[in-house]
Amino acid sequence: MSDPVRVLVVDDSALMRKLIPQILERDGSIHVVGTAMDGTFGLKKIEELNPQVITLDLEMPRMDGIETLREITKRHHRIPVIVVSAHTTQGASATFKALSLGAFDFVAKPKDAASAHMENIATELITKIKAAASTKLPVPKVDITPLPALRRAPKGQGKPHAAPSRVIAIGISTGGPNALQYVLSQLPGDFPGSLIVVQHMPEGFTDLFARRLDECCAIEVKEAQSGDLLVAGRALICPGNRHMKVRRMPLGNIVVLSDEERVNGHRPSVDILFRSVAQEFGREAIAVIMTGMGEDGADALGAVKAAGGLTIAQSEDSCVVYGMPKAAIERGHATRVVPLDMMANTLQAQSVAERARVVKA
Amino acid sequence: MSFFSEDRASELKELFFESAQELLQTLNEEALALEKRPGDTETVRSVRRTVHTLKGDAAACGYRELSELAHQLEDVLTPELAQSAQATKIPEVVLAAADTFQSMLAAYRNNLQPPSGEALRQHVTRLTSAPATPEPATLAPKFLWSEYEQVVIADSAARGNAIFHVALQIDPNCPMRAAAMQMIRNVVSDCGTVLVLHPEENTPPDKIDVVEMAIASAHDEQWIARKSHIPAVVKDVVVVRAQAAPAPAPAAKAQPADDNILEIPEVHAAPAPAAAPAAEVHGAEPKEDAAKAVASDSILRVDADRIDAVLNLVGELIIGKSMLLQTVGEFDKRFAKDPLRGKFADAMAFQARVLTDLQKSVMKIRMVPVEQLFRRVPRIIRDVAKNAGKEVALQISGQDTDLDKSILDTLAEPLSHLVRNAVDHGLETPQERLALGKPAAGTIRLNAFHQGNQVVIEISDDGRGIDRGKVVAKAIERGLTSADEAGRMSEGEQLALIFHPGLSTADQVTSISGRGVGMDVVKNVLDRLKGSVSITSRPGDGTTFQLRVPLTLAIIKALLFRVADRLYAVPLGSVLEITRATEGEIHRVDNHEVAQLRNEVLTLVRLAKLSKRKASPGKKLFVVVIAIGDRKFGLVVDKLVGEEELVIKALDDHLVATDLVSGASILGDGTVVLILNIQAVIGRLGREAAKGAHA
Repeated sequence: MSDPVRVLVVDDSALMRKLIPQILERDGSIHVVGTAMDGTFGLKKIEELNPQVITLDLEMPRMDGIETLREITKRHHRIPVIVVSAHTTQGASATFKALSLGAFDFVAKPKDAASAHMENIATELITKIKAAASTKLPVPKVDITPLPALRRAPKGQGKPHAAPSRVIAIGISTGGPNALQYVLSQLPGDFPGSLIVVQHMPEGFTDLFARRLDECCAIEVKEAQSGDLLVAGRALICPGNRHMKVRRMPLGNIVVLSDEERVNGHRPSVDILFRSVAQEFGREAIAVIMTGMGEDGADALGAVKAAGGLTIAQSEDSCVVYGMPKAAIERGHATRVVPLDMMANTLQAQSVAERARVVKA
Repeated sequence: MSFFSEDRASELKELFFESAQELLQTLNEEALALEKRPGDTETVRSVRRTVHTLKGDAAACGYRELSELAHQLEDVLTPELAQSAQATKIPEVVLAAADTFQSMLAAYRNNLQPPSGEALRQHVTRLTSAPATPEPATLAPKFLWSEYEQVVIADSAARGNAIFHVALQIDPNCPMRAAAMQMIRNVVSDCGTVLVLHPEENTPPDKIDVVEMAIASAHDEQWIARKSHIPAVVKDVVVVRAQAAPAPAPAAKAQPADDNILEIPEVHAAPAPAAAPAAEVHGAEPKEDAAKAVASDSILRVDADRIDAVLNLVGELIIGKSMLLQTVGEFDKRFAKDPLRGKFADAMAFQARVLTDLQKSVMKIRMVPVEQLFRRVPRIIRDVAKNAGKEVALQISGQDTDLDKSILDTLAEPLSHLVRNAVDHGLETPQERLALGKPAAGTIRLNAFHQGNQVVIEISDDGRGIDRGKVVAKAIERGLTSADEAGRMSEGEQLALIFHPGLSTADQVTSISGRGVGMDVVKNVLDRLKGSVSITSRPGDGTTFQLRVPLTLAIIKALLFRVADRLYAVPLGSVLEITRATEGEIHRVDNHEVAQLRNEVLTLVRLAKLSKRKASPGKKLFVVVIAIGDRKFGLVVDKLVGEEELVIKALDDHLVATDLVSGASILGDGTVVLILNIQAVIGRLGREAAKGAHA
């Protein structure tokens, strides 16, 4: 077994500086080497303690999280940072800002002392830290300057809802926010396919996440609501803590949200989405499994393949965490393996009219 | 059951309460800062950050009520709010929040149901919202159809159907909801084709208040409304004919336009900031913030019990040292020529030095700066000043002085009492002050410093001072002292009469002397701490209270002496001097024994009722002169033993039925020495002397 992962905890709450290490030290392969009460000390302790992973609170006095993150990326760009974020609107907004500045990932602060809840947080934090420690990639950093108004103008509203050429389901987890942004921002406004995305993310973050994506993408991006139509040139992001399925209806195809139990420990679960896509759209479907830990989606990718749909896995060297794609590839469920920078091109090529097996309305 | 082990969980909770306490203190300070500079965005931001941390911590510990309340407060504390007209109300709300959080914390700590915080919640919501419009009693349907539903409606309209949006409010008194829903479904399908119906079919019927639907119908609005108004089931109906556009037109009676909202006057009577003169409180400038932060980053939180355990062991070591010292002394006598003697002496000296350092270091762990005590004062002053309509400037000095943590905690109550009194009764109103040629704002000064083995804390004001004459008159009237006795008292002694429970609790005195209520409590606490309190006051110029407490409670330097072959000790700190006397020099005046000390007359106190013994005038005695407050007494003792460091062992209340002894200690040779509680001794023997006089 390798040496434990050296973690530095930066948080202004004395309680969190105690609680987070206690959560982490339950796992023998993580060693909290130190804590710091704000960014200034955090930076000093990075020099002293040489941690492999940093957990970072965003709301801190003196030097806050965002500023600290900027400094960390400037000085020690190879140390991955996991943001420990609060459940507030401002919190979510700062979190995405942090992700766009190169934070590896984020977890939501515990909001309950209940055992099950703590257990989830602990598992999530521990796996993310391990993933962060073992990642070889510098965290992908995407330019998120919103598009000029000219290109944004004709989105969604105004033009009639066009039936999509293909239905593209994407399942993605750790490392997802940046990767997803990278792919979606490269798709043209007249992209003929309709995208539905399950990104593992806590409740309260997905709405803002969708809105941020919408700002920097030519296609329309929105948080899905039950009854939303699958239309060309739009991506629907499944809200946190709900499941998403698709359904063919007489006058169009829609997404339906539900509150069933967690699957693979996740809600939303990629497996649920993929299965329903395979069932409803069969060979008209494309399922993409992207960066993330665990195996959510790997099984159901096989269902899409069996139903005649195209299945794609993100390539190992372009994944922040090569977990879900790996599981799918090992099961023989991926028809194609595509690196991140080729993903948008591949989707575009697969959805253009001449190759499309038109989704009939 | 819990994610963490029981130990861990309670440790985390303890940490939570402790840091929450600090957060609340910070919150108080920030609110006061905000009161001085309303609308300062930076301060509002730090308030928000503090509330944010409290919220997160409380949530992680499962204190949901507190967390939610903090969350609400955090959400409204936006930079926009700081800029808005409401900005002046923020400090008031934040202070109220600090108080509410405080009481919630207290409840959590005692495993009680926390207060609801409803008042605060309303306070908070009032900050942002124009007073909320009352719940519309009438039906206000939204007709929010999903994308697909809109497509369905548009499709039907495109086929030439007339579309109606219908909303039915179910009568709250309708008993059988499931049946009611079925009736509604039947009725509306008579009206035409139901395109969309909310809520969905699987919603539990008793949760449904309003049914919204879109119908394609050949009838008109009135017909549908009449038809669907099922008596006793449907309370209200709204029917809107859809326009050609697929988007539903908002119902006419849906929502009142924003500018129609009535300004409802605030019910709660928050004092307008201008009405009461704002308390002008100058807190000590937080200096060397960075340096302090460095310190706090490397701070280790340790249970006080653990430190006490170490301290106890150090105490045992000190006893061990004296045992060794004594043994070495005997060895010296027995083997005066032995070369080992020198080595013993060296080793002893070395050990003694290290032991002293060890003891000092451990004592230091328990020491905290008085600042922790002073930090609470600005808030107290602000509240009292606001209530009493006073203007106050606070000056703080000596806040770096260190003091034993447990003493400091005990002092919190008396200090806040004295401060409150100083503002409330000590200071004049601004009008009075101006008339007297003083600045309108009164000054309260807090000061702390070391003096020998004691820490002195001073609370002064520049107010009206205490009218000594009236205090004395009142005390005589109440039979607490005689005119004669009062005449012999020093100024300080006369002023100290206000500590007498018979006087201090009498409310009339408050208005006369300007001081009073609960002063005996202050004195009791100081007595318990083996400290003292004294007053100096000049009418018109103000009053100073001086609190003296020992640096620490655990180890004292003491003077040992014998009376009637028993070994006693008194804290060296209270010993002024030692003088010799013979029985012949002791005189009786008014049932008190006195002796001449230079130009003063010293009241004497004898232990163990020595006064009953036949005294031979030639017998030589020692008189230990002791100061309590600014009164002096002479303790008559037979023999002086010496000066020694004593580790105080608390005596179980059940074992010692007297308050004359405050503790005991063990000497190197195993002898037990009783440490006298001087206050009690003088109180008791003084009383007995007085009783003797009546007999």
